[in-house]
Amino acid sequence: MSAPPEPPAADADADVDAPPARERAAIRLRLVGTAALAGALIAAVWLAAMLVVGDFAGSVETTFALGSLAFGFGLLGWSGAVALGRGIESMQTHLDTDTGWTERDARRAMARILGFGLGVMLGATVVGSVVATIA
Amino acid sequence: MSTETTTTNETATDVDQRGLIDRLTASPFVSRLLSNRLALAGIAIIVAMVVIALYARLFLDLEVITQSQLGTNPNRAAPSLDFPFGTDGQARSLLPRVAYGAWYAMLFGTVTVAASTVLGVGLGIVAAYYSDVTDNVIMRTMDVLLAFPSLLLALALVAIFPDDLGLWRAVAALTLVYTPRFARVVRGAALTVLENEYIDATVALGAADPRVLVRHVLPNCLAPITVQSTLNFGLAIIDLAALSFLGFGAEAGTPSWGLMLSNGVSQGLLTGVWWWSFFPGFFLALTVLGFNLLGDGMRDALDPRMREAVD
Amino acid sequence: MISTRFVLKRLLLLVPVLVGVASLVFSILHLSPGDPALTIAGERASEEFVRQVEESLGLNDPIWVQYGRFLLDAAQFQFGESFIIQRNTAVREVLANKLPVTLELAIYGQLIGISLGIPLGILSAVKQDSITDHLTRIGALAGISVPIFWSGPLLILLFAQVLGWLPTSGRISVLYNVEAIRVTGLVTVDTLIAGNWEMFVSAVRHMILPASVIGVYSMALISRMMRSSMLEVIRQDYMRTARAKGQGSKITVLKHGFRNAMIPVITVIGIQFGGLLGGAVLTETVFAIGGIGTLLVEAIKVGDYPIVQGTVLTFAFLFTLVNLGVDITYSILDPRIEQ
Repeated sequence: MSAPPEPPAADADADVDAPPARERAAIRLRLVGTAALAGALIAAVWLAAMLVVGDFAGSVETTFALGSLAFGFGLLGWSGAVALGRGIESMQTHLDTDTGWTERDARRAMARILGFGLGVMLGATVVGSVVATIA
Repeated sequence: MSTETTTTNETATDVDQRGLIDRLTASPFVSRLLSNRLALAGIAIIVAMVVIALYARLFLDLEVITQSQLGTNPNRAAPSLDFPFGTDGQARSLLPRVAYGAWYAMLFGTVTVAASTVLGVGLGIVAAYYSDVTDNVIMRTMDVLLAFPSLLLALALVAIFPDDLGLWRAVAALTLVYTPRFARVVRGAALTVLENEYIDATVALGAADPRVLVRHVLPNCLAPITVQSTLNFGLAIIDLAALSFLGFGAEAGTPSWGLMLSNGVSQGLLTGVWWWSFFPGFFLALTVLGFNLLGDGMRDALDPRMREAVD
Repeated sequence: MISTRFVLKRLLLLVPVLVGVASLVFSILHLSPGDPALTIAGERASEEFVRQVEESLGLNDPIWVQYGRFLLDAAQFQFGESFIIQRNTAVREVLANKLPVTLELAIYGQLIGISLGIPLGILSAVKQDSITDHLTRIGALAGISVPIFWSGPLLILLFAQVLGWLPTSGRISVLYNVEAIRVTGLVTVDTLIAGNWEMFVSAVRHMILPASVIGVYSMALISRMMRSSMLEVIRQDYMRTARAKGQGSKITVLKHGFRNAMIPVITVIGIQFGGLLGGAVLTETVFAIGGIGTLLVEAIKVGDYPIVQGTVLTFAFLFTLVNLGVDITYSILDPRIEQ
C-alpha cells in the first residue's frame, strides 16, 4: 500500500490534550484526502497506460473493483477499530500481551486505506466516463 | 536467558565456527523443549506421520493398486485382515489411500505454511524496520484480516481463484489467510531484536538496510517463527481438509483426508459404513494434535519476551 | 450506567460495517472469474438470450453505476431473486427461512461453550499445575485439534448408531410438520409455543449433537482464555492484599477475580462468534441441517450470486451485532472504560 508520508502537522494531535473538534475534522479530512489523491493519481496513470496498451474497458472495471476492495476493507477496519477498540486495548492490558495496538493508530491506518480506495474508485470513474464521452 | 541474546552478544565468526549440533544442544530453547513430555509426544506423532507420508509417496502407486483391485474387492467391506481399514464405495482398500492422505496433508500443509511464512516474514520485518506509517498501515491491515473468521475468509478467497486449480486453490486462499499471523509474530520479534543496541551500532557503522535485516534481524527471529509455523501447520491441515470437505479443495478421486471424510460421511455414515470416515478423520486429528502439542511446548519453551506475539 | 445515547451511537456503526462488507462483496464478485449472465442463462443458451439477461441484470452499465445500485439495494436488503438454488424466490425470503436454523444452532452451541468453558477455565486457574489443570488444558487442546467434521460423525456413530439414544440428522423428526406451527423459525421455541411436548422433545433431541459439537470447540477457546485471564488477575496486587487480610483464598478468587477476569473473556466470546459461524457451516453439512451456512457453500459452488451477497451481508450483520452487544456488556462490567 503506497500511502503518502504523514504530514508532520498531523502528529501534533497526540490525543493527550484533545484538539478542538474542527481541527480534528480538518486533520481527518487531510488524512483521507491525501490518500484519496494518491489513489486517484495512480488509477488515472494506470488507466492512461491501459488506454494505449491493452484492454481499456476491462481495466476500468478491474481498477474500480480493486478500489472498492480497498475502500470496503478500510471502512470495515475503521468501524471494527471503533467498535472493538476499547475492548481489544483493555484485553491486551489485562493479559499483559501489549502489542502496541491502539485504537487511534488503527483508525488512522484504516482511514488511509479507505481514502486510497475511494480515490482509485473516483479516478476510475472520472477517467472511464471521460473516455466514454469522447469515444 | 535465551539463545537470541546470547547469539547477538557474540561476533558472527564465533557463531559460524560452532557446529550446528553443539549450538542446538546448548540452546536453552531446545533443552526446555526436550524436557516437555507432551512436546515429545507431539514430535513422535509428527515423525510417524512423515514416515507414513514418505512411504506412501515412494512405495505406493494408487493407480496400480486400484487397477489390481478392480472387480476383485468387495464393496464397502468392514475392516478385516485383508482390508485393515475396510473398503470404500468404489471397492478400494482404504489403508493405502489413508496412508497416501498423509503425503497430501504434509505436502500441501508444508506449501501453505511455507508460503505464508515467507510473505508474513517479509511484511513483518518491513513493518518493524520502517515503523511509522508503513508499519501502521501494514499491521493494521493484518489485524483486520486476522479479525475475519478464518474459514469464512478462506471461502471468500477460494471463490476468487479459478476452480481448475483444485487443492492449490485452497492452498492459495489459506496462504493469504495465515500471512497476518506470521507478520504479527515476526514484527513483534523483530522489534525486540531492533531494540538491541547491537543493531544500532551496526546501523551507525553504515550497514545498508537490507543487510541489517537479513544478517541480524532475521536469524534472531527464527525461534518465534518456528513456533508459529508449527502451530499453524496443524491449523493448515484442518482447514485444507475442511475446504475439501465442503467441496472447494481436492478434486474427486484424490486420496485427501478431507475428501475421504466427506464421502464417508455423506455416503456411508448413515448406513453404518463407519470405517470410511473414521480412519481418515482419525489420522487427520492425530496429526493435528501432534503439531498442536509440539507447538504448545515450543511456545512454553520460548523466551518470554518473544512469547507474547505468538498465539 | 450506560445511556441510550451510547447504545444508539454503537448501533450507528452498523452502517459503515455493512457498506464496507457490501463493497468487499461487490469487488470480489467482479474480480472473480465466472459470468453471472451465463450462469443464469445456462451454458447452452443462445448468445442473444445471454445478452438479454445481461441487460436485465444491468451488467452493461458502467461499473460505478452498478456499484451505486448495489449499495442502494444492499441498504434495503434487496438482492433480487435466487438464480439457481431456489429459482425465482426472493433472496430475502430464502434467507428468512434459513437464518433461524443457523441462529438456533449458534445460540445453543455458544451456551454450551460458555457454561462449560468458564467454570473449567476458573478451575484450571485456581488449581494451577494440578492434575485437574493439566487434564483441562489437554482437553482444550484436543478440542481444538479434532475437526468438527470428524467429531460430528464420531458422535453420530456413538450416540445415534451404536447406542441409539439420539437421532442422526435433521432438526426434528420427519413425522412432524414444523412449518405448520412456524412462529420464530427456531424449532425448540416454536414447538413450545404450540404447546406440543412430543415435538419439543424431538427438536431438543435433534439439537443435542450438533450444538455439542460446536459447543466443545468454543468451550476449548473460552476455557483457555478464562484460565490465562484468571491467572493474571490472581497475580495482581489487590488479590494478594485480600488474601493477606485472611479471607479464604478460593472465596477471594471468586468474589474479586471473576468480574475482572471476565472482561477479556467477553471480548474473546464476541470475536470467536465469527469462528462459530464458520463452524456452523461445517456442522450443518455434517448433520444435514439446512441453514445459511450450507446455503452459502452451495451458492458459491453453483454461482448463485444474489444468494452469496445476501448471506455474506447477513453474516456480517450478525457478527457486528454480537460484538456491539459485547462492547455494551463491557461497559457494564467495567465502568472505568466508559468514555
